[in-house]
Amino acid sequence: MLLTIGIVVIVIVIIFFLIFWGYYNRIIRLENRIDNSWGQIDVQLKRRADLIPNLLESVKGYMTHEKETLENVTKARSALMNAKTPQDNIDADNMLTGALKSLFAVSEAYPDLKANQNFLQLQDELTHTEDKISYARQHYNDSVLSFNNIVETIPGIWFAKRMNKSTKEMIQIPVENREVPQVKF
Amino acid sequence: MLVEDHIKHNKRLTVFICGFMAFLFLLVISSFGYLYFGNIYISIIFGLPVALVYIAITYSFSVKTVLSAAKARPANSLVREEKLLMYKVEEMAIAAGLPTPKVYVQDSDNINAFATGKKPEEAVICATTGAIRKLKTDELEGVIAHEMSHIKNHDILIATVTIGVVGAISLISEIVFYSMFWGGAGRGRKNEGNAIIMVLAIILIILAPIFSRLTYLAISRKREYLADSNGAYLTRNPEGLAKALEKIKNDMPQGKPKGSKTVAPLYIANPFKKQSTNSIWSTHPPINERIKRLRSM
Repeated sequence: MLLTIGIVVIVIVIIFFLIFWGYYNRIIRLENRIDNSWGQIDVQLKRRADLIPNLLESVKGYMTHEKETLENVTKARSALMNAKTPQDNIDADNMLTGALKSLFAVSEAYPDLKANQNFLQLQDELTHTEDKISYARQHYNDSVLSFNNIVETIPGIWFAKRMNKSTKEMIQIPVENREVPQVKF
Repeated sequence: MLVEDHIKHNKRLTVFICGFMAFLFLLVISSFGYLYFGNIYISIIFGLPVALVYIAITYSFSVKTVLSAAKARPANSLVREEKLLMYKVEEMAIAAGLPTPKVYVQDSDNINAFATGKKPEEAVICATTGAIRKLKTDELEGVIAHEMSHIKNHDILIATVTIGVVGAISLISEIVFYSMFWGGAGRGRKNEGNAIIMVLAIILIILAPIFSRLTYLAISRKREYLADSNGAYLTRNPEGLAKALEKIKNDMPQGKPKGSKTVAPLYIANPFKKQSTNSIWSTHPPINERIKRLRSM
């Protein structure tokens, strides 16, 4: 009798240990994925900030009457360089996106500039970096979503409490910055 | 239906169909053993490893030959259009959380694209020059997202393994067929067996190649739907891919398509045939149905 109870207890402990093992690894893996996807956003933000001086250099000679537009770009860039938290970074980046949008809109009035190969290449690359940032942001939020889903539902929530893990914040994206039509998910 | 439900639904169906394929394969091997050795276990013990090796070899060779069969070349970053294609591939890789695949270009006026590679780390995405020129940015993005989903879902593995199983089943069927023709079947058997089971085993072996081929095609079509819905999830813009498919539908094929027919399932739309009706013999679902599903998301 004692032996049977002993075996049952051992089996239950092993099963519990295996479940804990699985959930522990899963929670850590999902958390690492979030860190990794933040790293991806960070890389792209830096890349974008690095491209700005080149862009300003190439438009300087052409855009003599657009002082304010150029200043806005510089301002947004330094805000991006000084941002500390992820949300600050994203807000500064949105500012930069707006400033660049008006710069590119204004550039339409300068046919010489539009024909400049260097400017075109920079424009392509900046648009590309902007797209990469928005997809990296999307991937970040997807990762946060799967992490939160595990950490907030049973049985994950029991293990998460023990591991001192709680839900993470998604990056808020202003509505007007989404160019593609929103889809219901 | 929501995109995530589409993804789950298609995944479940694939598991089910693959299970059926495995069951069919075991049935054929057992029937073969029953007919020739009077024992189904012998053929399972010997047949399974042989079949696995056969499939592994098919796998390692098929991927290598796809690019040369398609006459694809690496994208040239000095050409603006191809540079933009490379940009799109990189963006979709970020959205999917995958390493950036190599980008290839196939010189063809038809709008098409395919993905290949053994695992996500070594993947290749190839688009035709027609696709680069005729598709708008959001449409090209939809197509690339579709291919990226094929990579993420390990569809290249699924396609080559299922092609391997179909090949193995046909091989067994052919052996039985020819040996029966020469009157060899069951000659060395100790066990007299049951005549009805024997006839059933022979019928099964003869019909198996057709069934396995149909199963393989069903899997291929399910994977297309899955890649469509996954792709829509990556871009958050099903309309882009829907518009691209519409362009492919209205774009008449020009010249002979390059590449071998075995890689047809890897393309976004079958380059060899225009699909308008729902047929159990197609590698891809009807294009109108795919557009309809994308627009209902």
